[in-house]
Amino acid sequence: MRTIIVPLSLLLLAASGCVTVKPQERAILADPTMEFNGDPHANAPIRHAIENREGSFGGEGVSGGGCGCN
Amino acid sequence: MQLKKALLLAFAVLLVAPKAKAQLAEFDTSHTVFYEAPTKTHMFVYSPSADLQVTPWEWLSVRGGWTADVVSGASVAVKAGQAYAARHPGTDIVSTASVRDFRNSPHGGITLRKDTVAFSADYAYSTENDYRSNAIGVSARTDTYEHTSQFEIAYAHNWDSVCDRVQSQTNLDTPVFYRALESSTGCFTSAPLRTTDSIGIDSFQGSWTQAWTPVLSTQLVYTAQILNGFQANPYRAVVIAEGTEAQEHEPENRARQAVAVRANYFFKPIKAALHLGVRGYWDTWDIKSGTGDAELEKYLGEPFRVSARARVYKQSGALFWSDDYTGGNAPLGPRGQYWTGDRELSPFWSWLLGVRATFAVNPDKRILGVMSGFRARLTFDINNYSYDEYTLGGTSIGNAHAYIGSLDVTALF
Repeated sequence: MRTIIVPLSLLLLAASGCVTVKPQERAILADPTMEFNGDPHANAPIRHAIENREGSFGGEGVSGGGCGCN
Repeated sequence: MQLKKALLLAFAVLLVAPKAKAQLAEFDTSHTVFYEAPTKTHMFVYSPSADLQVTPWEWLSVRGGWTADVVSGASVAVKAGQAYAARHPGTDIVSTASVRDFRNSPHGGITLRKDTVAFSADYAYSTENDYRSNAIGVSARTDTYEHTSQFEIAYAHNWDSVCDRVQSQTNLDTPVFYRALESSTGCFTSAPLRTTDSIGIDSFQGSWTQAWTPVLSTQLVYTAQILNGFQANPYRAVVIAEGTEAQEHEPENRARQAVAVRANYFFKPIKAALHLGVRGYWDTWDIKSGTGDAELEKYLGEPFRVSARARVYKQSGALFWSDDYTGGNAPLGPRGQYWTGDRELSPFWSWLLGVRATFAVNPDKRILGVMSGFRARLTFDINNYSYDEYTLGGTSIGNAHAYIGSLDVTALF
């Protein structure tokens, strides 16, 4: 999987330099529905509950303290 | 007390900055309820939180808050597998114990901004009957290519402590004789039968968010974590040989990695955003998992929006996981060096269906003369689990549904 992800990421990263979305075109990108990590306070306890029932984690931030893992 | 200090500090910063160009305070409170009642066990968790963030200047934000978990239920205390149960027909070898806990976690942090760069530092303390944690986190974020690309790196370290039972001095090198912790009574005191195990957690994350068109953006995230210390459930024992039950015994080291890719696309004609995501995960306990999720969020008039989401998750079991450890050499030989009764380390798959309703307003005129914005969000999710091999003494787990409901309210000042 790494042999695909790493070169593909580098290719996309290089391509991103050619992409410019003008400020006047960013209204939709700034909409709350287009945020990747919108409402972190609301999402954290739901994510906490789901992750405590699974053997894996990741992709959602690294902060937080305590176990709360009953 | 820590919450009170954090709130006072936040208000103080707000008050001493009368000449600030931009002044904004955000108060958020959320209330989440989790409930499940699979075969033989049940769990209810209520998680309230309150957070306040003030931004007295554009370059500085200060935040503080408090999170809690109120836990009540019953979990597995002694786990046995199918083969052992078959040799003891009519005997109920699997037992459960009631669980009551209260986790308190005050936390706070600051963010400094300059031009296109932001630095954040956070601290969280957490205490519960049998677990204590000190966690620090730092992160740096920058925008490039005229704000169309955003890169962020974050690091966190936890210094955690787990309550455990003092084991017999003559059996310290023989985990098969370890007894499980009976209760949290006496934890973090000088009680003669209580001790503390430590666990250190290092977490790292790097992310790249990219806007490709006015309606399409993507995010690539890599997360890594190294855990060192006691990672088992101290309360749970596993039947590992004929008539022998021992406290869970898991490896002390674990390295975990995950890669997630997400995409957001906005459909202008129907005023709806589609979120798609996949995640791959692997660790040194040989757990591999894949996650796929999708969400469609649509505006119903300006202040209202609703969304429906689905998530599918599948994982393999840990290398040392087994439903039954009694296949080793009699009388003391468990099958393998480690043993666990943890269903989260077993192979399974799950699905989740959820709905969410959001009401958000940011009017030109202040609400009630003080609020510049208001948002309320109601969420409900159903999570279903299908365990491939995990049983409780040969009984498959039925009714493995978890229900999660959440109300979150945010006010901007």
